[in-house]
Amino acid sequence: MTSDEHDHKHCLEMFEKLSEYIDGELDQLTCADIEKHIKNCVACFSCVETLKKTVAICKEVKDNPIPKEFSQKLKDIIQRLPKPSVS
Amino acid sequence: MTKVKNQSRKKVKDNDSELIQAINSGQSDKFHDLVKRYEQKLYNFSLRMCRDPGDAEDMVQDTFLNVFRYLKDFRYETKFKNWLYKVAASTCIKQRRKSKFAPDRELSLDEFRSQDEAEVPFQVPKWALMPLDKLLNEELSHSIHQAILSLPEKYRVIMLLRDIEGFSTDETAQILNLSPSNVKVRLHRARLYLRDKLKGYFENDE
Repeated sequence: MTSDEHDHKHCLEMFEKLSEYIDGELDQLTCADIEKHIKNCVACFSCVETLKKTVAICKEVKDNPIPKEFSQKLKDIIQRLPKPSVS
Repeated sequence: MTKVKNQSRKKVKDNDSELIQAINSGQSDKFHDLVKRYEQKLYNFSLRMCRDPGDAEDMVQDTFLNVFRYLKDFRYETKFKNWLYKVAASTCIKQRRKSKFAPDRELSLDEFRSQDEAEVPFQVPKWALMPLDKLLNEELSHSIHQAILSLPEKYRVIMLLRDIEGFSTDETAQILNLSPSNVKVRLHRARLYLRDKLKGYFENDE
């Protein structure tokens, strides 16, 4: 697609659906439409790739260990709780 | 009518079901085993929700106290983990109402898209095409952590549940009492916000 033929309005419409696209939540027809479009549109392809990488980076966020003192405090609080009656 | 209702309420069995049944049948000392299973995950979720470690500890403590109080009412209609995060999210919202934070700012889709064709990129940035293991390091982890914390809360909670805790759209909607389409809209904006922060991070790095 040349820049003259480039349908910027189509890009804006697709932009709203890109998270659903990368999550596999769109119907086949809409997916095919997006795939066809991004083959020829660097801007939208870039948008998909940057968004995918953002999600991938977020999924790699590491957990902090729970502070030992806090874990012990939780244990103590739970031990002191009144035992509920069994119905 | 009652029959239809009962049929639609299928019991969900998961790895926690046995333990919960034991606790609810009188072995309340086993509650600590349940806490041990989830304290680490819940602490990190709370840390990302509250920003302040002290507030995060209060949130975890209040969540487990509420779980202890209401575990008898757990009907196995959902996975225990989903119910736990529902309690945690509602505990967090209650805590926030008590404090005097400014209301959440709205993220508009227009903030993230180029209205003008002249602004659209002509090539994909290098970082988006690089393998993940080549990108990950401590500095990036710190930067993404800060970016997540700077998200307005109503977007942050959805991003955390979907992309970090791994809940589906429908599960997230149930946990937060929102419609699935609302979850999708907020998640997309949260991701675009984080993508812009990452763009800034990598552009400064070049």
